[in-house]
Amino acid sequence: MARISTRLIPHVILVAFLLTLFALTGFAQTRMPQLKYTDRTLANGLRVLAAPDSSSPTVAIQVWYHVGSKDDPEKRSGFAHLFEHIMFKSTKNMKSEMMDRLTEDVGGFNNAFTNDDVTVYFEVVPSNYLETLIWAEADRLSGLNVDDANFKSERDVVKEEYRQGVLAPPYGRFFYMLQEKSFVDHPYKRPTIGSIEDLDAASLQDVQEFHSTYYRPDNATLVVVGDFDPKQLDVWIDKYFGPIPKPNRPLPRVKTKEPERKSETRFTEYGSNDLPAVGLTYLTPRQADPDSDVLRVADAILSAGESSRLYHSLIYTQQLAAEADSTSETREDASLFVLLAVLSAGKKSEDAEKSLLAEIKKLQDAPVSAAELEKAKNQIITDQLRQRETSNGKALALGEAAVLLGDPARVNTDLARLQAVTAADVQRVMKKYFTDANRMVLYYLPESAKQAKQMGEVRR
Amino acid sequence: MRIIHRLLALLALLVFAFGASAQTPQATPPPPATPHSGAFPKPAEQTLPNGLRVIVIERRESPLVSAQLLVKNGGEADPAELAGLADMTGSLLTKGTQSRDATKIAQEVESLGGSLNSGARWDSSYAQVSVMSTKIPQAMEILADVVRRPTFKSEEVERLRQQYLDNLTLALGDPGSIARFVAARVVFGESPYGHPLSGTTESLTRIAAADIAKMHSRYYRPDNAILVIGGDIAAKDGFALATKYFGDWSKPTAPLPSVDAAANNAAPKAGRVVVIDKPDAGQAAVYLARLGINRRDPDYFRGIVTNSVLSGYSGRLNQEIRIKRGLSYGAGSQLDARRDVGPFVASAQTKNESGAQVAELLLGEIARLSSSPPADAELTPRKAVLIGNFSRNLETVNGLVAQVATLALYGLSLDEINRYINNVQATTTADVQKFAGTRLDAKTSNIIIVGNARLFLPELQKKYPNVEVIPVSELDLNTALLRKKQQQ
Repeated sequence: MARISTRLIPHVILVAFLLTLFALTGFAQTRMPQLKYTDRTLANGLRVLAAPDSSSPTVAIQVWYHVGSKDDPEKRSGFAHLFEHIMFKSTKNMKSEMMDRLTEDVGGFNNAFTNDDVTVYFEVVPSNYLETLIWAEADRLSGLNVDDANFKSERDVVKEEYRQGVLAPPYGRFFYMLQEKSFVDHPYKRPTIGSIEDLDAASLQDVQEFHSTYYRPDNATLVVVGDFDPKQLDVWIDKYFGPIPKPNRPLPRVKTKEPERKSETRFTEYGSNDLPAVGLTYLTPRQADPDSDVLRVADAILSAGESSRLYHSLIYTQQLAAEADSTSETREDASLFVLLAVLSAGKKSEDAEKSLLAEIKKLQDAPVSAAELEKAKNQIITDQLRQRETSNGKALALGEAAVLLGDPARVNTDLARLQAVTAADVQRVMKKYFTDANRMVLYYLPESAKQAKQMGEVRR
Repeated sequence: MRIIHRLLALLALLVFAFGASAQTPQATPPPPATPHSGAFPKPAEQTLPNGLRVIVIERRESPLVSAQLLVKNGGEADPAELAGLADMTGSLLTKGTQSRDATKIAQEVESLGGSLNSGARWDSSYAQVSVMSTKIPQAMEILADVVRRPTFKSEEVERLRQQYLDNLTLALGDPGSIARFVAARVVFGESPYGHPLSGTTESLTRIAAADIAKMHSRYYRPDNAILVIGGDIAAKDGFALATKYFGDWSKPTAPLPSVDAAANNAAPKAGRVVVIDKPDAGQAAVYLARLGINRRDPDYFRGIVTNSVLSGYSGRLNQEIRIKRGLSYGAGSQLDARRDVGPFVASAQTKNESGAQVAELLLGEIARLSSSPPADAELTPRKAVLIGNFSRNLETVNGLVAQVATLALYGLSLDEINRYINNVQATTTADVQKFAGTRLDAKTSNIIIVGNARLFLPELQKKYPNVEVIPVSELDLNTALLRKKQQQ
């Protein structure tokens, strides 16, 4: 929840997509359209993936920059995301908000999002505007031209985004701290949205440096899906992106390794929530690791739908929780498997923790049935089909495969990987990663519980 | 997105000024090419002998099918003391039938890779299933079972009641949710759209299993229902499935219950300024709310175009509040047209200190629609936004089904899908000015702010000495007064 920050409040479809963005899988027995695409790299290093589809007269354009909040400069947490907002201000040849004129005003839309590993800009427009948008994306890769007034006003917007995402919702700080407390060394310990203090410290100079460091053609992947003529597209890309030089300076990459967890860590925090929440995280391998597919299946078994194990146990049978969920939050360098529960009125956090642990133990002790495994795979496949109903959804899948999985072909081959997951695999990964030593536990309790506790301490 | 030829031809004429005066290919954007055309799918329909209206919309690109069974009454039919009854009734459909318990229903649907949702909205209740197209026969059988033969067992009623109470507790921790609840009470008072759709703490406690069964038998009948099937399915196959699973759903002899369309005409006094003081709020939710229009209003398209001038990323509200002043992550408005007159709401969340300023900006923009209506240069892009959103919404199977279901629910021609673009395009500057002046008058609007009142109340009181301040602990959503009665 706190890990992805977007330029605008995303609409529901986008939210649904983002929740499963890092969980691409394949397709079972039903007819599944293969995504046919071309893949080329310009001399300056820009990778171009293109998939023509003229079923509707629109086109989706995306630019994936391989830079995320893990690359935030020192004492500038939240910077990559703030920078994403700044990319909609004045660029080399565009005045502020011109990107909106080129998209929204002609019946299209634009947005962007930043997470720990990538920053992605996207537009969907009537297809006759494709050349215009290729020009515009090339222009903002070429350079920014932001003034201080624009910078400060947009920084205020991001601070409001922080308040709206972290401070206003009753569990905003809970999700924020779940990430913060899950990493010790790796910059993933800084949630993407950052902090007000660090945002206030950011300057226009930081903006220029960040652009010249990370916004370069050899750190970008352009994805175009929809209604276009491939030959014409190549001409436009060569014309507008081709002349952008590849810098000589090296691209900095995060080298920090998150150390293995040696023993359980536990935290108790207090907030304005009326119902307590409990979260557990386990450190899991990088996204490209083959175990990610198995963890995705385990996640579906635990929490996809009302027949899932967490729903059935914590919400339905025990009536212990108002919400119970799991997520395999994959990341490029190191991932988290998160389990959480928001308690039902009058129920104890300790009981929710016990029940979450009991569900983990069940998956460790016995293999899942063939029917339950098949159900989980079918759920994942249907989710993916819904994602790929639109050009923008297809482009997101293609970009993720190329940038985060290192191979665009995985947009089509992940089906086989998913189908290959067995009950024994699920049991194996549950035993391997879900150990006591690999666990972080966060209790998020109402402020009133703290007062009660303090009064008790005074009396003693 | 499927934008038809006429629209694109029109937009193509709007070649950007900067495009027309190009100096070098790099310094200015290249102009658009000739637009390509597309078309919307055409719905087919039949009415079964039992009165069930069946609509099928073919869209074969993705192997997905959605089917929605819509009952033509929802939260507006809740008795005053039983707010949340229609929603609980709808939610309980999937919690047990004569032949399946809740667990079995979830397992069967999810084994198909599908999802089954049910509940109530304003003006309708629904059960909707969405699956891969190869699984639609099994899914339709389950859909019919939950709609026709739910059992409403008391243990399921109790379980759901606790879930609703917990969800309400969660919502009451969020300034935006509180503001929406309060706005409905302020705008509609104690008439049917005034209560929270999912009930209040008190009403949820009162709802009995017998009330739920009565709600179901009164409204869930084939002659008060519509079945919409959309996606990767031939129309004839859709009709055959409908006949097979809903054809023997018998129509009761009792006449259909009538809907009191005039219930909202007794609107409460407008111009209230209500502050809900929540000292631990991390942000203030600022809402401007008033009566809007009903869905069959002849001004509907003028209304949605007017709203589009205000709302959306580059709409006037977001321009003034976010883009120019950095006061919010997003400001916008909704004109929620229902069977009876629905609400118009403009809103933004901002730091507590800016609560009063944002309220003034919201009001100012509503008033400015009349004093400074959008000329074509502003209006044309806002129409394009509306048309683009509409077209993209029809791009997914679920979006397509939802659009068609809404038209059917309000008795509008299904062909409105294909007239939408023309209707939007026909709206003029004068139409917007007139609509804003006569239907959205800022002076008869209400202001609601939920937040840490200490930080914005003094400024607000300067302009509105009549402001009502209610501590969140004393908030009562059961009455238009909004305040708990003093204990004797």
